[in-house]
Formats: sequence, C-alpha cells, structure tokens
Amino acid sequence: MKELDPILHSQLRLAVMSILMNVEEADFVYLKEKTESTAGNLSVQLDKLSTAGYITVTKGFAGKKTRTTCQVTELGRKAFEQYVEALKSYLNL
Amino acid sequence: MEEKKLTERESLELITTMINRTRERYIGDGNIMLMWGYLSVVVAALVWIMLVKTHNPVWNWLWFAIGVVGGIATPIMSKKSELKSGAKSYSDKITSQIWTVVGISALVATLFCFVFSFMGMHNVWRMMFAFALIIVPMAEMAQGIVVKEKSFIFGGAVGLCIGIFAVCCIAADMPLGANWFLPMYMIAFACMMIIPGHVINHKARQQR
Repeated sequence: MKELDPILHSQLRLAVMSILMNVEEADFVYLKEKTESTAGNLSVQLDKLSTAGYITVTKGFAGKKTRTTCQVTELGRKAFEQYVEALKSYLNL
Repeated sequence: MEEKKLTERESLELITTMINRTRERYIGDGNIMLMWGYLSVVVAALVWIMLVKTHNPVWNWLWFAIGVVGGIATPIMSKKSELKSGAKSYSDKITSQIWTVVGISALVATLFCFVFSFMGMHNVWRMMFAFALIIVPMAEMAQGIVVKEKSFIFGGAVGLCIGIFAVCCIAADMPLGANWFLPMYMIAFACMMIIPGHVINHKARQQR
C-alpha cells in the first residue's frame, strides 16, 4: 500500500492544495477565507508547501497594499494526484 | 482551521468540502460588458444622429472612440474584478484568452481597413460591422458555454443573427443604411452586452 505524503496529510495544507488544484491562482485572503484559518497558521503552511516545491508564492502589489498569490506547481499537482490515489487504496475505493 | 493529522476518510471529506467551496465562488461582475455595451450603443446613436443631421461621413471617425475608450478601460476594470474575486479559475483564464484574441483580431482588422482605405476602397469599413457582429457574438457564446451562463448564449445568438444578416447585405452589395442598420447594431449590442451585463450584476448582488 502506498504511503500518504506527510506534506499533504495535514488538515490546512491539504485544504490549501485542494483549493489550488481547482483554480489557476488564488490570493492569501481568498485562501484564508475558504480554509477558515488564521493568517499566521496559513502563512506557515504556505511556506511549508512552497519549500516542498508544491506551490509557488508570488508577492506583489494591488494598489498600495501587498498581495500574495499562490499557484500549484507541476510537482504539487502530481503529489496531490498520488495522494488521492493512495487515499483511494486505503479506503478500498 | 487547526493544523492536525487526519484520518484517510477525513482527508477525502476535506478535499470534497474545499472543492465545493471553490465552486461557490464570486460570480464576477458584468461591469466590463456594460461598459462595452453602453459605449457601443451611445457611439452608434451619436454617429446615427450626426449622419442624419449633417450627411457628413466624417462623423464615422467617432467609431474609433469605442476601441480607444474600451481598450483603455477594460484592463483597469478586469484587474479590479480579479482583486475582488481573490482567485482566478480556469474558466476565467479561458474567457480572458478568448477576449484577448477578439481584441487582437479587431486591431488587425482595423489595420487592414486602413490599408484598403488608403488605396481608395473606403467601403471596406463596412467589414468592421460584420466583424463586430460575428466575432464578438461568437466569443460571447463561447464564454457563455464555458461559464454556463445562458444570457451570454442567447444575447450572442441575437447578435450573431444580425451579424450574418449584415454579411449577406455586404456580399449582396446592399448599402448598410444608417436609418435601419444602426438601430439594428444598437439592438445587437444591447442584447449581447447590456442585458447579460445586468443579469450578471443581478446574480452577483443575490450571491452577496
């Protein structure tokens, strides 16, 4: 049986990846709202996903405010697909 | 949401919940469509009034106001809309690419019309009506199919019918008279842009 990817097998990181798999890109505020998480916690988990190479985080400006946007990478996409396959095998789906 | 380890079943449930939440996304606003719609209708009305009053074809230069004003306002408005939604979906990307192709084609068509016009073939500008009433409705219908919005499909279909009629008139060397063709052009843009724009804004207000 395949082992579940420890980077993805945690609540907030999996929530973020599930969202990013369904959109082209999403900003920090959108992710915070959809995952109902705190800014600090989300920031830490985004860093972990980024370090693993699963997402790219781009910091830019929207007028005078900073805007952080996230996008899933090809590596992240493959990891997520493998994770779902592993889940299916665990649950005999 | 706290950071915790999950069971396999919880993981699957979480993925499903998040996918559903991305589907509940902001529908967007119809302001860009309304801007193009009202701009096209107002300019067509102005050209019509001035042509009827003065019989001077120089007023046809007013048509360029559509491209200039719309071309400047669209990127500013779409940036604002993107910031408001917080996420860019795949359908947003496809829609944006469709309209980019329409914009580039409009520039190329204008360029060709200028070249032909400099060679003395001023009638070539009629082709821009066919362009506006064939390419734009096709793009709008494609957008309607991608985002599953019926008002885009119906509005585009009305515009396309008028566009096909315009092409037939041009092919048959029938002059596009200002008194009957410009009202048809305005009806086409009202159906293609103004009505769907208000429909989208109404849906967005309901979503809030």
